[in-house]
Amino acid sequence: MQIQDFFRYTFNGIRAQRLRSFLTTLGIAVGIGAVVLLTSLGEGLHRFVLAEFTQFGTNLIAINPGKVTTHGVSGALLSNVRPLTIEDTAILKQLPQILDVVSVVQGNGAIKAGGRQRRATIYGVDASAARVWKFAVAAGRFLPDDPPRSARSFVVLGSKVRQELFGSNQALGMRIRIGGELFRVIGSMESKGQMLGFDLDDAVYIPAAKAMALFNRESLMEIDLLHTAGSSSSVVAEKVRKALQARHGKEDFTITTQEKMLEILGGVLNTLTIAVGALGGISLLVGGVGILTIMSITVNERTGEIGLLRAMGVEQSQILTLFLGEAVLLAAIGGLAGLGLGVGGSWLFSLAVPALPAHISWTYVASAELLAAFVGLLAGVLPARRAARLHPVEALRAE
Amino acid sequence: MISLQNIERIFQVGDEEVHALRDVSMTATDGDHIAIMGPSGSGKSSLLNILGLLDRPDTGSYELDGVKVSELDEKEQARIRRHKIGFVFQFFHLVPRLTAFDNIALPLMLAGMKQDERQARVTAALAAFGLGNRAQHRPDQLSGGQRQRVAIARATIMQPSVILADEPTGNLDRNSGIEVVEILEELNRQGITLIMVTHDPELGRRAQRQILMVDGRIEREAEG
Amino acid sequence: MQIRDILSFSLLAATANRGRTLLMLLAMAIAVSSVVVLISLGDSARHYVIDQFSTLGTNLLIVLPGRSETTGGPPPLLGATPRDLTLADAMALNRARTVRRITPIIAGSAPISVRSLEREMLVLGSTSELYEIRHLALSQGSFLPPGEPTRAEAVCVIGQKGKKELFGNQPAIGRWLRIGDRRFRVIGVLSSSGVSLGEDLGEVVIIPVAAAQALFNTSSLFRILVEATSPEGIEQTRKSILDTIRVRHEGEDDITVITQDAVLTTFDRIFKALTLSVAGIAAISLVVAGIMIMNVMLVAVSNRRAEIGLLKALGASRTQILGLFLTESTILSSIGAGIGLVLALLGMRLAAFLFPQFPLQLAPWSSAISLGVALITGVVFGVLPARRAADLEPAFALMRR
Ligand SMILES: Nc1ncnc2c1ncn2[C@@H]1O[C@H](COP(=O)(O)OP(=O)(O)OP(=O)(O)O)[C@@H](O)[C@H]1O
Ligand SMILES: [Mg+2]
Repeated sequence: MQIQDFFRYTFNGIRAQRLRSFLTTLGIAVGIGAVVLLTSLGEGLHRFVLAEFTQFGTNLIAINPGKVTTHGVSGALLSNVRPLTIEDTAILKQLPQILDVVSVVQGNGAIKAGGRQRRATIYGVDASAARVWKFAVAAGRFLPDDPPRSARSFVVLGSKVRQELFGSNQALGMRIRIGGELFRVIGSMESKGQMLGFDLDDAVYIPAAKAMALFNRESLMEIDLLHTAGSSSSVVAEKVRKALQARHGKEDFTITTQEKMLEILGGVLNTLTIAVGALGGISLLVGGVGILTIMSITVNERTGEIGLLRAMGVEQSQILTLFLGEAVLLAAIGGLAGLGLGVGGSWLFSLAVPALPAHISWTYVASAELLAAFVGLLAGVLPARRAARLHPVEALRAE
Repeated sequence: MISLQNIERIFQVGDEEVHALRDVSMTATDGDHIAIMGPSGSGKSSLLNILGLLDRPDTGSYELDGVKVSELDEKEQARIRRHKIGFVFQFFHLVPRLTAFDNIALPLMLAGMKQDERQARVTAALAAFGLGNRAQHRPDQLSGGQRQRVAIARATIMQPSVILADEPTGNLDRNSGIEVVEILEELNRQGITLIMVTHDPELGRRAQRQILMVDGRIEREAEG
Repeated sequence: MQIRDILSFSLLAATANRGRTLLMLLAMAIAVSSVVVLISLGDSARHYVIDQFSTLGTNLLIVLPGRSETTGGPPPLLGATPRDLTLADAMALNRARTVRRITPIIAGSAPISVRSLEREMLVLGSTSELYEIRHLALSQGSFLPPGEPTRAEAVCVIGQKGKKELFGNQPAIGRWLRIGDRRFRVIGVLSSSGVSLGEDLGEVVIIPVAAAQALFNTSSLFRILVEATSPEGIEQTRKSILDTIRVRHEGEDDITVITQDAVLTTFDRIFKALTLSVAGIAAISLVVAGIMIMNVMLVAVSNRRAEIGLLKALGASRTQILGLFLTESTILSSIGAGIGLVLALLGMRLAAFLFPQFPLQLAPWSSAISLGVALITGVVFGVLPARRAADLEPAFALMRR
């Protein structure tokens, strides 16, 4: 049998029962559509989160005090007997392949300017923070490169704090009060938006040493460092580990490379996408049962035709392929329609929620279509085998 | 050349055994015109099914053109059906969703012939059976006689050496029946072996040999 | 036609084609059982988390240093603040009428060592009240002794797992261990209450709050736990805490008070939303099963044309035919849903057997929902085929064959 005849014949069988075929393919289409839509949403979320995490750049390494990993609370917030210090930062700066290092102290407090007051996050950082975290300054400049221990009392305002405290008035050069101490505004940041719930605009940036004095603590909460693009994160992390261990005598800190974090995060998000896709797959399973049912009915109804074909010398294996082909074709058409549904749905979703654009992953789409055909094949096996095994005489008598 | 030796066919119905064929032996030479007659349930269809390789005898042997076909496997039997045997049924057995053209082309298609080659042969067959203007009609748009002519065209399109017809006129009015039989006889005159089951004694008499079956046995055979 | 007649007629029709009927039931059962199982899993998870949270304490309020302008969302991690929460702040809270007891907490991590063995663990500085407030339980010894919180006695209570790691199977009570550069005597071992919300109490060391202050060289508290006398007293307590601290902090509102209630409601909401969306996704399969039922019913209608024609010829009305076919599809989907429910029940039993540590059980309302949905599915997807059957012209229906 010629291949185009094969298709024509099976297609003819599908077309002869339009409504029935339409409903069968619709079942598969809904299933595949659900899988495609859900994996697209998962993939969109994946990209969204990764973009959030990489907005500070990808060559970042964070060092936190303590070897705390199991308590669910960041080591930085807990008290610690062996703190990270500003001196550690200075040592790390000397290492090769490291471009910039930032000391970080983070807290919360009231900020007063004139008659206004706002509670906001207070970041104690270095001049290098703007470079490491890829901040853009809207007006003025970022903190100057003062010696860390004797930094001057300057403050840079996040866009929201600037707006809340000064409105449309001039902020640069003004004096504001943070936790009782006076700071002079030397710059304000462009809006950076939220990062995973942390509002980076509702914050002010002051020198790390000043923040430590303000919060009455001796240690840093984190040291962030930026390494050269060409060097491997793990190699740099190892060097950092050695250098700090030499100073502290012990490994009493935790190093997190962005690379590692992205890897773990990526893994988690992939699992999520697959899990959600699998939930959609339940519908596909039901759709598969639908094909099985309809193909059984079809074989029943066409018993006479099968007998005729056998009488005309068609082999059992050919009958099998004919009906299998019809099942696969049904499923594949359903799959294509499902792709349309899924892609359209993702598109609509992107329109409705622009912040979280669904992303159609063509690997998932291709596998979904293959999956549909496979479901058809699987569902077709039983009825097609029954068709092939019909005794020709019995089949002819059925009419 | 057909030769059946001591064919038995037994159906198991519940606890009971039904002897559809008992010790049937017969031969047919190429170009024969044979009518098989007998009362209902006498085993005519059963015999025809065995001749057509649609069913296997329980015992006995069947030789077709010197080959012991009863011992072949299902694949080879299918090949023989495809090339040597044409069937015509009482209920036509046309594929309802295919046009007359496509129904006739079916065996060619299944044999893997290219579409343009099929075109000419099927068109010729349509014309030869007086169906030239019915090519694109589906079975439900044809009369009974026309349907049977399509079925005969389909049975002969592969140029088989044998045509097996099981009551081909059973579902037709008298005129259409005669028309169909004349077509079959014409094919027989061209050299095809024709074996036809019929209930109609008048049609039976037109055959060159008549086999009368009773209760699964060949009761007697008459010439002329 | 009597209801009984309609039912038996439909059942007969459904059982006449056993294969396809079974397949339809299978499809419906898959869809229903997956919806029910997912709802039940989500519901079980919700109960689990809320139970866990409830065991944290009763009528609990948590006081954190620092306050954020933006409220809502998960409990905030605010970092350090210019003005600390001190032990004196904590003691001042005790005075309010609606407060039953309070306990201050300093949390930190430090290396704990016994001879050459060393482990990094969570160190909690607190008072004897922690025992009641957090509903802790001891397997051996006693908890921190009551008394002035400013007294830094060198005693500690350790978690079950930490005890195993440091002392093995030997008794730990009365032994000394080293936290940072200080020595503490073990006076109690917590019983293994397992994980509660991320804080692994198996690997924790509890010492007097004053000792923790010295150890970590800090006067600021990580948080203060406050237990109100009654559920009604919680709101009152919250206000009095805020007032007390404001007075002590020179008129500044620089703390955050989280009530257990608020956290519970938040978790409840989050889990409900999650359960609903997951079940919603699974419910797509119900639609697919519905489409399938519609399809098979359409086939049945066209196969049973002659029968329908005959019924009409015998005087069946349009509504009667409609009712017959609707009944058939509804019976099918209901039986399918019933089977699905049984499957879900078995599935959850199996899951509960495999994971005995989680309270897994069928959500009681999931069965009602799935049966309702199945009925609706049967009717909605049965309408089209039933109308087809009802609209058949009797003559035409009888014509073929
Ligand atoms: N598949 C079967 N199972 C059981 N019994 C069968 C089967 N096929 C045929 N028979 C029996 O074998 C006998 C011969 O049947 P067959 O169909 O050959 O008769 P027939 O001569 O063609 O009759 P008719 O003229 O009515 O077509 C009958 O008694 C019939 O009941
Ligand atoms: Mg017969």
